[in-house]
Amino acid sequence: MTAETVLYILVSGVVLGSLYALMAVGLALVWTTLGIFNFAHGMFITLGAYFAWTVADGNGLGWGLAAGIAFSVAALAALGCLAEAVLVRPFLKRDNLVLVAVITTLAAATFLENATLLSRGGRSKQLAPLAEGNISMFGIGLSAHEAAIVVIAPLILYSVWLFLQRTRTGSALRAIAQNQEAALLAGIPVARLYALSFALAASLAGLVGIFLGGIKFMSPSMGTDPMVKALVVVIFGGIASISGPIRAAYVIGLLEAVCIYSIGIYWTQAALFVVMIAVLMIRPTGLFGGQRA
Amino acid sequence: MIKTERSFEGVYLALAIGALLIAPFILTESYTRHLLILALIYAVVASNWDLSLGYGGLFNFAHLAFFSIGVYGYGIMAKSIGISPWLAIPLAGLLSVAAAMIVAVPILRLGGIYIILVTFAFSQLVLQIVVSQSDITGGNMGMVGLPPLKLPGYNFVRDGKLGYYFGAVILLLSSTFFLRWLVNSPTGLSIVALRDNADYAVSRGISLAKQRVITLTASALFTGIAGGYYGAYIRVASPDAFGMGLLSLLLSILLVGGTSTIYGPILAAFLLTFISEAMVDLGPWRHMIVAVMIVAVLIFYPGGIWQAATGFNEFLKRRLGGRVARKTSAQST
Repeated sequence: MTAETVLYILVSGVVLGSLYALMAVGLALVWTTLGIFNFAHGMFITLGAYFAWTVADGNGLGWGLAAGIAFSVAALAALGCLAEAVLVRPFLKRDNLVLVAVITTLAAATFLENATLLSRGGRSKQLAPLAEGNISMFGIGLSAHEAAIVVIAPLILYSVWLFLQRTRTGSALRAIAQNQEAALLAGIPVARLYALSFALAASLAGLVGIFLGGIKFMSPSMGTDPMVKALVVVIFGGIASISGPIRAAYVIGLLEAVCIYSIGIYWTQAALFVVMIAVLMIRPTGLFGGQRA
Repeated sequence: MIKTERSFEGVYLALAIGALLIAPFILTESYTRHLLILALIYAVVASNWDLSLGYGGLFNFAHLAFFSIGVYGYGIMAKSIGISPWLAIPLAGLLSVAAAMIVAVPILRLGGIYIILVTFAFSQLVLQIVVSQSDITGGNMGMVGLPPLKLPGYNFVRDGKLGYYFGAVILLLSSTFFLRWLVNSPTGLSIVALRDNADYAVSRGISLAKQRVITLTASALFTGIAGGYYGAYIRVASPDAFGMGLLSLLLSILLVGGTSTIYGPILAAFLLTFISEAMVDLGPWRHMIVAVMIVAVLIFYPGGIWQAATGFNEFLKRRLGGRVARKTSAQST
């Protein structure tokens, strides 16, 4: 194996890891604050790409990619709020909230997927890349789009982290994650912050969709596969924290790149699942998880 | 309260069995019978899921994989190996039980959401294996032309699928009796006790690990058999059986029917299969309407349609009781 191959595996692993990290953070954010798992997350990814396409592409409004991204992120934030109000809020007092939320978010995913199919058709579309052309570094070439992802994703993740650590709202979100009743007693508007965490997760998913739309063809079900991967990531990293899934995302991304190179794309998925199940048997709260189950 | 429900159970059960026996002679159209058979099979799968998910409180998302393993197990045994279909169907059930034992191992120490994630990952893993082993399973194309069920001189598909219909009725009845027997047995009670208060149950000497294995394997048995029967009826084993579409259909049957009731999911299986099929011409709209309906039912009837049905039963009783009470008070004045 040449140094070039190693570098190539490393770079594609980091590209994958960046995308997984953005997705997994959204999932983990919703899980820590609301205590539910959002199966509509994959559809948020799809819609992020489609909203951006509608505004940006020449066959849509044709206002350029920047406008498309801005619109898409804003629309996803609004949709996140709406999803929280319809799919989660009516059930907050139920004992079986976790289960009910699984079915309501699954139902929402079905709804949104078919709505996308109806309004945009099943034909594949492609979004303009963030940056045109290719760049070569250390003797290997990668597209400028992928290079942009590698740079932008950590910046976004860092700002999410700053937001959670350094702002009052961020502290309030973490307070809810740690102890909901105490947060309520301290005068934190818990219900409003639920909506906020959903909105934030949805816009992060939308960004992933925009990034993916520049790499692959878009289809109404394009979000399902990344969501399953993000699922592996959050299990692997432990869902009860924000930093765990981020680290796990890069580990999984690299692992996947190595697997694709060594055992082929067919067995990669299976290998990832086996690794994940093994990790959970040894550490039931994930590789980087704390004591919270 | 439990007493009165019990005493009515036999009456309602007899009525339901009567309805199932008469139904095919009223609904003679082949397509309607096809829907009835599908509903019966879905009812078996959903009510068995109720055992692990409702009674056991285990968020087991590998249940659909148990079903698919039954379908593929039947396909491989009856077609590739050439075992008699009559033997292959129960063997498919045992294959699912074996799969359930494998799933049970990693989740013994896990709780809540992690069980969802691992079992979900397990079914994805099984799907990956099925798709990648195309020599055995047909890969993405699936297996076609599986052997149908036959008795000497009688193919089950004759007389408008009447054989398959009654086969499915027998399957549902035996599955339901098995489930009712299990949940009312000491084992079933201990499973519920673990769900409601694990610490207390364990301190009273119930083994969490053992009961979890029992719950999962028991729920896989008839699910796998239903998978085998489905394979013999549809005669196709395809990776679609693992899909999100079937998963959300079955999960909504379970939740719309009402968890921890067994009868609720059975009722909902008929309701949702027919509602969903009635809108088949609407294309994507159909899935959207069903999705909205599911959320609406969950908002307005937290306990599902079974709760609505028992609520109606209580209402009737109260009305009758009220009339008697008024009569006696009128007499006393």
